[in-house]
Amino acid sequence: MVQFYEHVLTDLLDDPNGGLVILSSGLSLSSLIASLLLLHSPPQGSLLLLSPSPALKQRLLRHLRSRSAAPLQIPAEITADLPASHRHSLYASGGAFFITPRILIVDLLTSRVPASTVAGIVIPNAHAIAETSTEAFIVRILKSLNKNAYVRAFSDKPHAMVAGFAKAERIMKCLFIRKLHLWPRFQVYVSQELEKDPPVVVDIRVPMSKNMVGIQKAIIEVMDACLKEMRKTNKVDVEDLTVENGLFKSFDEIVRRQLDPIWHMLGKKTKQLVSDLKTLRKLLDYLVRYDAVSYLKYLDTLRVSESFRSVWIFAESSYKIFELAKKRVYRFVRSDGTKLDEPGKSTTSKKRKLREEDNHEETASGGSSSTGVIVLEEVFEEAPKWKVLREVLEEIEQERRKATLTDEECLIEGEEGDSGIVLITCKDERSCMQLEDIITNNPQKVMREEWEKYLLSKVELRDARTRYKKKPKDPKGFGILDGTLHVTTTPTAEVSSTSKQEHNALLAAVSEIRNRAKLEKPGDSIQPLVGDEGCSNGTKDKNKKGRANAKTSQHRNSSGRKKVATDGNQAVPASEDGNLTDGLVSGGYCEGNVSGHSGDRAVLQMESDQSESRSVKPLPPLHFHALESDQPILDILKPSVIIAYHPDMTFVREIEVYKAENPSRRLKIYFLFYEESTEVQKFEASIRRENGAFESLIRQKSMMMIPVDQDGHCLGQNFSMEQQASSSQNSITRKAGGRKDAEREMQVIVDMREFMSSLPNVLHQKGMHIIPVTLEVGDYILSPLICVERKSIQDLFSSFTSGRLFHQVETMVRYYRTPVLLIEFSQDKSFSFQSASDIGDDVTPNSIISKLSLLALHFPRLRIIWSRSLHATAEIFFSLKANQDEPDLTKAIRVGVPSEEGIVENDVRAENYNTSAVEFLRRLPGVTDSNYRAIMDGCKSLAELALLPLDRLAELMGGQKVARTLREFLDAKYPTLL
Amino acid sequence: KSSFAAQSRNAILVSPRQKGNPLLKHIRNVKWAFADIICDYLLGQNSCALYLSLRYHLLHPDYLYYRIRELQKNYKLRVVLCHVDVEDVVKPLLEVTKTALLHDCTLLCGWSLEECGRYLETIKVYENKPADIIQGQMDTDYLSRLTHALTTVRHVNKTDVVTLGSTFGSLSHIMDASMEDLARCPGIGERKVRRLYDTFHEPFKRAV
Repeated sequence: MVQFYEHVLTDLLDDPNGGLVILSSGLSLSSLIASLLLLHSPPQGSLLLLSPSPALKQRLLRHLRSRSAAPLQIPAEITADLPASHRHSLYASGGAFFITPRILIVDLLTSRVPASTVAGIVIPNAHAIAETSTEAFIVRILKSLNKNAYVRAFSDKPHAMVAGFAKAERIMKCLFIRKLHLWPRFQVYVSQELEKDPPVVVDIRVPMSKNMVGIQKAIIEVMDACLKEMRKTNKVDVEDLTVENGLFKSFDEIVRRQLDPIWHMLGKKTKQLVSDLKTLRKLLDYLVRYDAVSYLKYLDTLRVSESFRSVWIFAESSYKIFELAKKRVYRFVRSDGTKLDEPGKSTTSKKRKLREEDNHEETASGGSSSTGVIVLEEVFEEAPKWKVLREVLEEIEQERRKATLTDEECLIEGEEGDSGIVLITCKDERSCMQLEDIITNNPQKVMREEWEKYLLSKVELRDARTRYKKKPKDPKGFGILDGTLHVTTTPTAEVSSTSKQEHNALLAAVSEIRNRAKLEKPGDSIQPLVGDEGCSNGTKDKNKKGRANAKTSQHRNSSGRKKVATDGNQAVPASEDGNLTDGLVSGGYCEGNVSGHSGDRAVLQMESDQSESRSVKPLPPLHFHALESDQPILDILKPSVIIAYHPDMTFVREIEVYKAENPSRRLKIYFLFYEESTEVQKFEASIRRENGAFESLIRQKSMMMIPVDQDGHCLGQNFSMEQQASSSQNSITRKAGGRKDAEREMQVIVDMREFMSSLPNVLHQKGMHIIPVTLEVGDYILSPLICVERKSIQDLFSSFTSGRLFHQVETMVRYYRTPVLLIEFSQDKSFSFQSASDIGDDVTPNSIISKLSLLALHFPRLRIIWSRSLHATAEIFFSLKANQDEPDLTKAIRVGVPSEEGIVENDVRAENYNTSAVEFLRRLPGVTDSNYRAIMDGCKSLAELALLPLDRLAELMGGQKVARTLREFLDAKYPTLL
Repeated sequence: KSSFAAQSRNAILVSPRQKGNPLLKHIRNVKWAFADIICDYLLGQNSCALYLSLRYHLLHPDYLYYRIRELQKNYKLRVVLCHVDVEDVVKPLLEVTKTALLHDCTLLCGWSLEECGRYLETIKVYENKPADIIQGQMDTDYLSRLTHALTTVRHVNKTDVVTLGSTFGSLSHIMDASMEDLARCPGIGERKVRRLYDTFHEPFKRAV
């Protein structure tokens, strides 16, 4: 454990009420919380840890186990599956527990938590808390029951703590916390310790290729153009609209926060701009992460999938992006070797000439070409980092050997803890797999495989399309490709002849690939399974599929087999990489079981040409790690050399902490940056941003006003509540607003599922007694008569579309005298559905107006509440409950749940109708709102209906056609399973 | 006289009280005509609407209540069409909401006269429209429809539908199955058998 944690914890434990700790990201929050848990002892009472993320949970447990924590210090999980009595005894046991806020709040409200036995709660994600969140609700209830309980909150996302006005202060108030502890990376204790014996850092700046620079420039140009457009809308604060901000994901948040209040009123163009900027950011990111072929492929899919409204795709510079991306993969040359002029400049006469050649080529068979014809030349530009990575690895291996030779002691020391593995960190899993492939195989080969896959899939798409459009009359029997060529010869006027030629060149390349595949397969007897069934069947279609499968499985497989030691000469002693050998076969590799969608199959593939195509210099054992996986890789692997292939601030900090924890271990880090790339810019900006956040927090801390009452509690500004002598959970009553203290407390029955939302919290803040139960009908029961279904705006739209709302209203109407639909807007979003200009000229079925009107027409008894915000809803509930009886809990729970006899209680219709039969009838095809009553009059039951002849049905339903629909459905043969 | 009746069937009837309301300019998709009626807008045989601007409500807080009282119990659907034309909505909207709710009116809010007008038009146009556009798109293949129908019976799930279908071969056979036959299906317990059987064999209308 690093020393400054002791400082952090001493400061934190100084205040028995708890505190809020904000530390720089990467300073191992999990380790800090683990240390806190180790100080916990059962006699203090239970410690409740509110829903850490799965990754944090895992790291935490790992730390605790490695530091030999006592059983009660290792948190167990309290889930909803445990019976209530069991949960009660766990809360009283004094142990540490993981628990979700939803379970805890319900247990607190139903007095299932013996509050006096709770020592305190730990909140690991303080930046996500707001006044209305369930965590705040929990703290409020807990503090009212047990004022000695502590609240210790943590955050390692300082920039999230400064989003919005005085956010840190507001969070502290709602968590009843008075002390704020800031631990930035630049804090004296932290920096002293981390910089005492820093790891050796090698910063390598790799220049990007000319094409990459071009693409990056073009993307930034387009981005800038989009930002300019956005500024014109006058809807967003201009200051935030910079390209640098645009590099971060948080840019979307900045924009959304400003646009959300008016989102419904924005034009389509502005919305499109927002999503375009997101796409462009991805393109920038992928430029340094993907290989040239994958990048082109991604651009290709973008072109297909992006909506025609996209602004960016038509921008001048976008053309450059596509052109350059293509150039990195292939170019067209005349087969006599001269380079083809840029398309579009050719004169008409030339075009005609080309077309002749074109036809000429088509008469010739598939792949062969005559002089002067355009052919495709593969370029496959390698990512500059690949070569550098290889060189670095070779250098590392050389150094390592030298060290082994000269210094025996060092080796022995090394063998104790130093695995000798070189850790290479990438951003994502995909890059890991590919890099691994590139280092173990030949980069060109890897890219060729990608390329072949890409081309094949492209043609397959085309095939599907053309086959759909028109079937070639004469398939020629040569397989799909020849068929396609045949189709392309039929005159298509739109396609300019140059691009058509290019297209044919592409197709020729495909056929070549296929031919090669065809030749390879039967000849290679060592490949027992790959494409096996394809070959035996002899059809190319299948064959191709087989290949594709083999390739994807190769990829999928390598994710399971991440450790690879590569050493052509087998210079590394087997003992040293003992556990790594399972994935390795010298001079080739063996792949284990593969589970894919298209049936499991094992693939064994020998790379026969590997040894000759690859340089023979030895490499050290490698491990590729994806930062996204969020695993405590450093502790697991204990590497001595790390290559940050995609440098990331958080991970750099983790390395620093790791080094400080293991001062005796030598550690060398290589950073691989693309020179003058947005990658560097982004890395530097992330550090600047965090420092800025801390500076702002330090300023805020100096000005903070946290009110303190006599009991040592601090009270938030938004709720004024009073502790009464009898400290039961019901003691909090409403005092504000000039209303008299209610004689009796108002009660609301709330469905368990609603505790995901903040309304129960706000209702409670206002002094309402909350009774959580599982409701079959409705979300909130205000009185025996009033039942409310709550919908946020988003919910409203989606549940209209799914039909869920209709059904919910239908059941509410059935069981309650006053069924209510509550439409709740969000305080920080606009209070309206759309602007006047968006309403359009006609009554259209998709408009929300139409849907609401229809709902009102079909359920005239339904009442609708329009609420500006959560708080307004609470006010409305109060006012509606005045002069109403309190809801009856037992009745509310039973509503909608049929009793043993199948009769639903309280159902106004159930006395007169067999409701499930009526419902069933109305769902049958042909049965409509206008004819179901007649059917019910004409036949007694569904069983009788099943036997009615067509004529009789037609009579009842008022038409032959609908009657036939129903009769056919009733008699339709159920499709057998086999 | 008869032409007037025909007209009134296809048009929104407007009370003379609404003369001069700029809202009328936005009723374009449906004909409208002045007529001597108690409500502000007569939208169909059983539906009517009262128009209320929140700004007006702030000046005359009792107005809405008296207007609703005048309506008596003559309409099935009674809409209070509220034009939200003030900035500070929470308090006035609360009052309007409460009055509408306690006196059996459906509150609809519009933020512009266009929107208010569109509500009136839509309710008139959709007078006899079935609810299918808000009942959710259902898959139209046989199995989905069968599942949709059979799952009206409580606790019957998708697996049960497959079991029932493959055991009995068609829906009419399922509906006609005896309790014993239903009970022989794996996964269909006693209660489900009972519910299924009752759904199919109990009369639609219980004996009165």
